[in-house]
Amino acid sequence: MAGVITRLNKAKRNTRAAQDPAWVRWSLIGVSLAFLGLFLFVPLAAVFTEGLRRGVRVYLAAFQTPDALAAIRLTLLVAVIAVPLNLVFGLAAAWAIAKFEFPGKSLLTTLIDLPFAVSPVISGLIYVLLFGAHGLIGPWLMEHNIQLIFAVPGIVMATLFVTFPFVARELIPVMQSRGNDEEFAALTLGANGWQTFWRVTLPNVKWGLFYGVILCNARAMGEFGAVSVVSGHIRGQTNTMPLHIEILYNEYNYAAAFAVASLLSLLALVTLALKSLIEAQSAEQTQND
Amino acid sequence: MIEAQNITKRFGEFKALNNVSLSVKSGELLALLGPSGSGKTTLLRIIAGLEFPDRGAGRVLFNGEDVTYNPAASRQVGFAFQHYALFRHMTVFENVAFGLRVRPAATRPLETEIRRRVIELLSLVQLDNMDKRFPTQLSGGQRQRVALARALAVQPKVLLLDEPFGALDAKVRKELRRWLRQLHKEIHITSIFVTHDQDEALEVASRVVVMNKGAIEQIGTPEEVYDRPANPFVYNFLGSVNLFHGRVHGGQVHLGNTSLPAPEHPEAQDAPAMIYVRPHEIHVANQSNGQQSLPALIRDVNPAGPLVHIELERLDDGAKFAVELTREQSRNVQLTPGSQVFVELKNLRVFSEDYSI
Repeated sequence: MAGVITRLNKAKRNTRAAQDPAWVRWSLIGVSLAFLGLFLFVPLAAVFTEGLRRGVRVYLAAFQTPDALAAIRLTLLVAVIAVPLNLVFGLAAAWAIAKFEFPGKSLLTTLIDLPFAVSPVISGLIYVLLFGAHGLIGPWLMEHNIQLIFAVPGIVMATLFVTFPFVARELIPVMQSRGNDEEFAALTLGANGWQTFWRVTLPNVKWGLFYGVILCNARAMGEFGAVSVVSGHIRGQTNTMPLHIEILYNEYNYAAAFAVASLLSLLALVTLALKSLIEAQSAEQTQND
Repeated sequence: MIEAQNITKRFGEFKALNNVSLSVKSGELLALLGPSGSGKTTLLRIIAGLEFPDRGAGRVLFNGEDVTYNPAASRQVGFAFQHYALFRHMTVFENVAFGLRVRPAATRPLETEIRRRVIELLSLVQLDNMDKRFPTQLSGGQRQRVALARALAVQPKVLLLDEPFGALDAKVRKELRRWLRQLHKEIHITSIFVTHDQDEALEVASRVVVMNKGAIEQIGTPEEVYDRPANPFVYNFLGSVNLFHGRVHGGQVHLGNTSLPAPEHPEAQDAPAMIYVRPHEIHVANQSNGQQSLPALIRDVNPAGPLVHIELERLDDGAKFAVELTREQSRNVQLTPGSQVFVELKNLRVFSEDYSI
């Protein structure tokens, strides 16, 4: 039944669109495609062709240097730590904002967007100012032999900060549109809070959550600015993939730089593919509602 | 027996409930009737444990036990929501089984017992063989019946229904009303339902609680609240009614040149009076019947449906009012728009501002 209605709606939309003159339609489509091609597709293709210009062997060799392997390992490590943490934080924040009324709620909502509003370089700098050798807490940290800046913990923290909004931003509208009735129903049926969360709330937001997580992951692996400030660029130790690419590029090692860049681009393509898959899935779900 | 005692509830500045007390007898089907903002849903949610009264402002008792601040999960209430609130990622079967599955292991029934109970409940709500469907594959009426089966699965002490038929179209709503009444006759569970629809309350409930602005205006059987409204609000809210302005003096109410008995106001001294008469309790004739007849002009006649609806205008002050005649009655009188007739108020109710009962 829902399918029939959607098809009818689609048919209606098409007839309305068909009333616009053909040249309007085609020039709009043409402009968008030309723009996308010039600024997105060509550079993406360039990354791969540049990477493969000197042959597959050179391309693969770029991944086999110890520095490249270390960078890939570090990037994965950072993502493995940052993404689950932000999954939990994002879920908690979205839950609090969508389901409860409390003082300071609008402040929290604004704070969630802060990492989007602030330049990543500044987020990195804040960490250096706080935890660096000359920072506020830096001397105390040094006394206790804890190194955060120019080390892996700093990179993880900077990434956490920059990727914080993704999960929460995806979940808040989903949770708000669902309302609290299903949770209330679960409570009156005798479920405790934990059961309500696992059996009712989580299944309801799973697609939004999944979407937020893959976006969060893409950003965690690709983040440059904030990580660049806190990492210190120590080869084999604190270089992530984006930083490694920059170093290779600055050393005129183009083939290797583009090879590693192509790996990050592949990640972006996989993210996009997953995203459209999820959108199709959740569209089907909302269609049935 | 469920009691709400002296409940007050504020939302910010807004007083949703103002010192409301209500007691619900075991096994009865009670309607909370009122316009939106009257506090009826808030009262229902406080009984359910989904809202709580202001600190120290009232108590909720279930069979004498104080449950005022107990969480909903511990109260054993069944709650049906206006928009059903079915778990949309679960089948009908799993929705109904939910309340049994979330029990602690010690009291959770065996899988075979859960299956037996769910199938039995689905059959009770006339949804046999629908167990594998998802909520989105059901009609609104079917969804609400699943919600009822789900609520009944936990064997609640009381069934609470918040505008249960509010989201359904008129025809399905009527069917479900009758069905709910029938169901209540079969299982006799204490039930409270909230509605803003007077027909629904009068047709389904064994007792009706009329609410307005966070307070109870009247409690009574459907006959009582309809035939003997306690005040002008209840009169206005239950069914259509005509309001005439007149004066009351020594047990007589004066309306234009007519005077009618108003025995409930024997001591009134020329006080302004509001006279309420239902449209079907006005007699229309072509000839005057002396002192008690009021001359009026016919403005409009609508004979569609089982009743003939007539719009009239008083000759003396031009006030408009409505009359409903059965087709039988309308045959005995000439009803031409623009012509003059005489009306007689059969069952009037007089409220005086000075002296109200």
